[in-house]
Amino acid sequence: MYLELARRNLQRAKVRSLLAIIGILIGVMAISAIGIFGESLKATVLESFEDVANELIVGPNYYAGYRYIDEKDVYQIEKLPYVESAIPVKSDTLLVESKKLKAYLQIYGLTEKDAEELFDAEKGIIRLKGSCVVGKNLAETWDIKVNSKITINSREFRVAGILEDTGARFDINPSTALIVSQDDFDKISDEGYTMVIVKADRLDHVDNVKKAIEERLNSREDKVYVFELSIILERINEAFSQINIFLMAIASISLLVAGVSILNIMLMSTIERTKEIGVMRAIGAYRTTILKIFLLEAAILGIIGSSIGSVLSLVGGYAIDYIILQNVKYVFQPGILFYLLLGFSVGLTTAVISGLYPAWRASRLEPIEALRFE
Amino acid sequence: MKVVELVDVSKIYQTEFYEVKALENVSLDVEEGGFVVIMGPSGSGKSTLLNLIGCLDKPTSGKVLINGVETINLSDKELTELRRDTIGFIFQTYNLIPTLSALENVELPMIFKGLSRHERRRRAKKLLSVVGLEREVDRKPKELSGGQQQRVAIARALANDPKILLCDEPTGNLDTKSGEQVMSIIKEQNEERGVTVILVTHDPTLAKYGNFVIRLRDGKIESIEGG
Repeated sequence: MYLELARRNLQRAKVRSLLAIIGILIGVMAISAIGIFGESLKATVLESFEDVANELIVGPNYYAGYRYIDEKDVYQIEKLPYVESAIPVKSDTLLVESKKLKAYLQIYGLTEKDAEELFDAEKGIIRLKGSCVVGKNLAETWDIKVNSKITINSREFRVAGILEDTGARFDINPSTALIVSQDDFDKISDEGYTMVIVKADRLDHVDNVKKAIEERLNSREDKVYVFELSIILERINEAFSQINIFLMAIASISLLVAGVSILNIMLMSTIERTKEIGVMRAIGAYRTTILKIFLLEAAILGIIGSSIGSVLSLVGGYAIDYIILQNVKYVFQPGILFYLLLGFSVGLTTAVISGLYPAWRASRLEPIEALRFE
Repeated sequence: MKVVELVDVSKIYQTEFYEVKALENVSLDVEEGGFVVIMGPSGSGKSTLLNLIGCLDKPTSGKVLINGVETINLSDKELTELRRDTIGFIFQTYNLIPTLSALENVELPMIFKGLSRHERRRRAKKLLSVVGLEREVDRKPKELSGGQQQRVAIARALANDPKILLCDEPTGNLDTKSGEQVMSIIKEQNEERGVTVILVTHDPTLAKYGNFVIRLRDGKIESIEGG
């Protein structure tokens, strides 16, 4: 019955209640929709790194005077447990010339098999016998096409393929890479293996592989460093979570405004209904009963506003994802439920907290004073 | 048995610059089943007296006993329960809750007491038929005439079967016919159910309903007639 009484009191001032609901609704929608967007953004970014998550990069420890990794060490890494593959990479910065441009660029020496494992060709094919493949970005800026000719360190190469941009990598960037075979590489440069890309068979074996490499190669001296890419994923995850919290905190300012409007509306309502409160107290309502009725009113506003806000935040999240990410597949993920519940509970809590003071004030009214109120 | 006992009661309102003696050393006993009419000009202390008896206000000095219970030391919760279970209020301006129907207004004191929905519905309907409003149960206050609203207020006052009915100018806003209707219901409750009635008015025509007529002037009892 108290619930019914609260409901009818809200219906008395329909426009006012509606405005309060809209306030809460906007706040909840802002929080949840931004939460959904943040989660989608994180998922999108993490997805582009998914391929490299179980990779480790082994490099020579320059600080201890090592410039390259020995062939023997590469072989040892390949034989370690949980290692799916170990791809040794040679690299050097060399003068590259095309018809129009010339510049010093990073050149990688890979076996054709390894290049095929790491990359896909968007145009042409990955063939490294006397030819090379180039990254998409590089090809665009240098106006390089399949079958174009470029010179690396005065040696001519035909471009066999242009690499597909498969998202960021930390070893070799597929959009700016210039890759030749290791045999050709040896003809243009004296550099040895500067990096080994090691792939663990499973993500949860990355740590074991890292330990094993360090134990095997660094037993006497720190010859190599091992860098796990999963650490980067963790950092990205953390960074995006922090950004998300920050964005939601900004969005919650709108809820604060909604809270103040509920406070205002309910204070007005307390004043308008002073005499009624006096009558209820006279005929046997406890202070707590009055408190309960007013808090229920605030809660009803909160529940309605937050429910509609949560539903609309799906629409909002969808719209933001569509506009900014051009991808809406993360809007309807189970993880999104957390942001809907978060928005709902923050909305409801704001409404109830805003109702606390007016409710308390109403309950503290002396019946005789309240009855005299005109 | 005395249902209301006032011993040397004074009520002084203190303002920043002066004090108002609303009641001064008033002593009064009302026996169970009595009908007391309190009369006096505006500012004579009638309403203050009624508020003290109704446990809505506390005296500055003196004792107020309701149904043998001294009210001065009762907590807010205990006073609320005393009002709820022992006293029924009828106000000049009816004071019904505008969002509730006639039936729901009558149910309200029973809700506060914690009666079951079925029980309070049954009782509220019965009380509304006692005041002749069985057809108006679902109407909201604004759909009722002044006289009808005051009858709903009487039904509400009787909801928890009170021993005392406190009426503050119950006919003050009504035409003569409605006023008589209301008064006859109150009188009926007094005579047939033995409810003690204390009625405050400055309408001299209501004096005839009381066993006692107390006249107040300047916060003091001027005379007690009847008995």
